[in-house]
Amino acid sequence: MWNRLEATNLMDVIELNELTKRYGDTLAVDRLSFRVEPGHVTGFLGPNGAGKSTTMRLLLGLDRPTSGTAHVNGRPYTSLTKPMREVGALLDANALHPGRSAYNHLLCLARTNDLPSQRVAEVLELVGLAGVARKRAGGFSLGMKQRLGIAAALLGDPGVLMFDEPVNGLDPDGVRWIRGLMRTLAAEGRTILLSSHLMSEMALTADRIVILGRGRLITESSVAELTSRFASLEEAYLSLTAGDVEYGSAAPSAPAFDDRITR
Amino acid sequence: MRGVLASEWLKLRTVSSTGYAIGAATAMIALGAVWSFYVGGLADERGSVRAAAPEAGFLPLVQVSLAVLGVLAATSEHATGTIRLSLSAVPKRGVLILAKTGVVAALTLAVSLGAILTTYAVSRVIAGDRSLGFNGTAFANDLPGLLASALSVAVLALVGLGLGFATRSTAAGIVSVVSLLFVLPGVVRYLPSPWGQRVSSFMIPDLVPQMAGVRFRSGGAWQDGMLPPWIALLAMLAYAAVAVGVGYWSLKRRDA
Repeated sequence: MWNRLEATNLMDVIELNELTKRYGDTLAVDRLSFRVEPGHVTGFLGPNGAGKSTTMRLLLGLDRPTSGTAHVNGRPYTSLTKPMREVGALLDANALHPGRSAYNHLLCLARTNDLPSQRVAEVLELVGLAGVARKRAGGFSLGMKQRLGIAAALLGDPGVLMFDEPVNGLDPDGVRWIRGLMRTLAAEGRTILLSSHLMSEMALTADRIVILGRGRLITESSVAELTSRFASLEEAYLSLTAGDVEYGSAAPSAPAFDDRITR
Repeated sequence: MRGVLASEWLKLRTVSSTGYAIGAATAMIALGAVWSFYVGGLADERGSVRAAAPEAGFLPLVQVSLAVLGVLAATSEHATGTIRLSLSAVPKRGVLILAKTGVVAALTLAVSLGAILTTYAVSRVIAGDRSLGFNGTAFANDLPGLLASALSVAVLALVGLGLGFATRSTAAGIVSVVSLLFVLPGVVRYLPSPWGQRVSSFMIPDLVPQMAGVRFRSGGAWQDGMLPPWIALLAMLAYAAVAVGVGYWSLKRRDA
């Protein structure tokens, strides 16, 4: 890992301002404003359909916002000339051509941002895939694909990193590895936005928490503050999002059900 | 831009579908040799035959194979979801599609030129001094037709690429290209006269001989082209430009 400690960039921030995305009748992201600062892991939480992945896609310029702005390092992502050197992201571990080897998958990405092929070997080593680098990525387990996706995010040694549910499909060993990796990356002065549904894991990994519900910001807080107000991070999450669960059994949380039928 | 070109070249090189498409296209050489032996045998019995040139007869095989390569260069990214990775690495969508256009055009032009020239040479060697109907002319006279054929392959590959980005579906992309090559020329011929012939002359199969300025068969009848070669060339290039333009517009406008 390249040492970023002295190279900490105060510009390494994610900043959303009144960000809104509408798909037809659905308001996926609703006037969302928050900031993610460097130096710690920021957990990005919310029920399915809350808009976490959409927010990340908007940040990466993949989707165009209906209104508002999503800036990385003070600029829209699409204006970055070598984006992989500033921002790394894992959105979908399955986004790979099944016939291409892990090494070539990463090399295709590295070439676009003029990153040396030696860096590909480095990140493969870092995520523990060096031994299967020449194997077809289509044959990988979900856990291996997650590691490959993390390798892709780290290729350009960026100061800002986003991970959408990277823990899915990993074995306990892999879960612990991700936890350590996230904390190390944050300690190096990077900005980390990490989404997950595993609350106990998040409590161990994140320092700050952003909670979304139905595209809106519910809470922006520190883990310490939430766990002092509630019994645990999981309790905090469940209480705060009780009215915003869009998919799932309505029985235990009557407000969500009532909310839905009256809309 | 150089890095993006290198990346797109690597992407094409590292999937097996590229190899299959090139294999199918270069099957023209073997089929052309078989054809030349066959009509050569007929000529030995009858004295002479009027057979079609294999590099013209098997041209649709090369056109379709490499058009599929063009379609896949776009749609495999949408099918696998790697389009999001590609656009995260290269957020300027025009740069991405330009690099794909350059790589697909260069590869398909090189492959088709190689296949067509090799088929031409092999069939003339097999023909020897027999009169097979396609081997009486000098290479210099045939060259414009060979170059026009190769260009049509690259154009169809780019049409495939553009329509692939526009439809985001391999099936829809391939059907569009095949319609443009085989279905539409057959349909427009039945337009009321003189529009049938006028529109026909702008169809891709008819543009190839018109670019070379040679007589050709269209709808069963021999005819001189209606278009001067340079107009035919511009019309051919316009197919690629319009398709890639539509693909770019679609990629730019829609969420990935």
